[in-house]
Amino acid sequence: MLLVLSEDHKEHLSFLPNVDAAVVGEFGRIALEFLRRGSSPKIYEGAARKLCVPVEMVQHGVEGLMYLMTESSKHMISEVDFLDSVLVLGFGEELNQILLQLYLQHHSQIRSILSQLPSHLPAYHNLEWRLDVQLASRPIRQQVVPMLTMRLLMTGGGDSGDLSRRVLQTDPSTLLHLISTLEAALAAIKTNHARRIFRSIK
Amino acid sequence: MRFRFCGDLDCPDWVLAEISTLAKISSVKMKLLCAQVLKDLLGDGIDYDKVTKLTADAKFESGDIKASVAVLSFIFSSAAKHDVDSESLSSELQQLGLPKEHTTGLCKSYEDKHSALQCKLRETSLRLGRLEAVSWRVDYTLSSSELREVNEPMIQFKLQAQGAESGSTETTVVSVSADKFRVLLAELKQAQTRMNALQ
Repeated sequence: MLLVLSEDHKEHLSFLPNVDAAVVGEFGRIALEFLRRGSSPKIYEGAARKLCVPVEMVQHGVEGLMYLMTESSKHMISEVDFLDSVLVLGFGEELNQILLQLYLQHHSQIRSILSQLPSHLPAYHNLEWRLDVQLASRPIRQQVVPMLTMRLLMTGGGDSGDLSRRVLQTDPSTLLHLISTLEAALAAIKTNHARRIFRSIK
Repeated sequence: MRFRFCGDLDCPDWVLAEISTLAKISSVKMKLLCAQVLKDLLGDGIDYDKVTKLTADAKFESGDIKASVAVLSFIFSSAAKHDVDSESLSSELQQLGLPKEHTTGLCKSYEDKHSALQCKLRETSLRLGRLEAVSWRVDYTLSSSELREVNEPMIQFKLQAQGAESGSTETTVVSVSADKFRVLLAELKQAQTRMNALQ
């Protein structure tokens, strides 16, 4: 598929042919750092001073380049399609090749960064448990009450890396019910209906 | 095939695969690697430089190094968890394909650190709201805005415990009058008697 670049985008990228290849490579590097860590205005100012152009031009050029890379990686477009899309900008052959190399080198990295962006639901991380027997309490002595205490650790839920914890307690019969429900859920993967769907995805 | 050191379950596939990786280093280096892994399990940290040097001869890549540390951690902690004696562990590991000299070295290290490992595992077992510190003081209230002569003793407790859900230290301050405190003390003594009877 071909990328359709908006007029603004084309205008931002029109800055690129006016500089030499090394600078384009440098902009590519800045654009990728932007994706990984965000940008700082100092980088743009430094580049603008060296090239004697206004800061917004540098900023637009880098952002335009970054947008081009992310859109191409997002749709996983082939080399041919990438070159055709870039042809629209009217750059020289050498510049097109540089952009293509930049795309090919980094598209898998960009895809992995993009895949981390949508916030996910909390996911299972660990389950700690202990089995206790309550023998006595303040109002009543001589009891025998078995209890399973669990601490469920989950990752995510928006914040990356932060673990959220839940403390749960259950008696043996609820525990058995829980186990049978979860086993039934696992068994659902092996039904014909589920297998048909997996086959069609593959 | 059920293995005692896996808790009477099948041995996980990755453990089987990595046992063959372990067989690539010499049995002497294996014993030293076991010592490093045990140090880590007991909470003293692992020296990755030493581990890298030990595995350098067999030309392990970083993935292989991580895998061998992981499989040794699993074997040691799982065997300690299910309280497996070292002869059974030795025969089970040989069944899985670990060469005899490696198994002997591993089981010797396991036997040496068996009780220390179990102690450490007992400490890290789930405990909710662990009590960390108690401090108290006794005050004597002379007078207040409500009543001119109060003349009452009062205990203030500061309890520092680990929050059950958050895991970080939470401080609770309680003030208890003399009568309430006597009740509290009597009840706690009864609970203590019951606990002592169990030990």
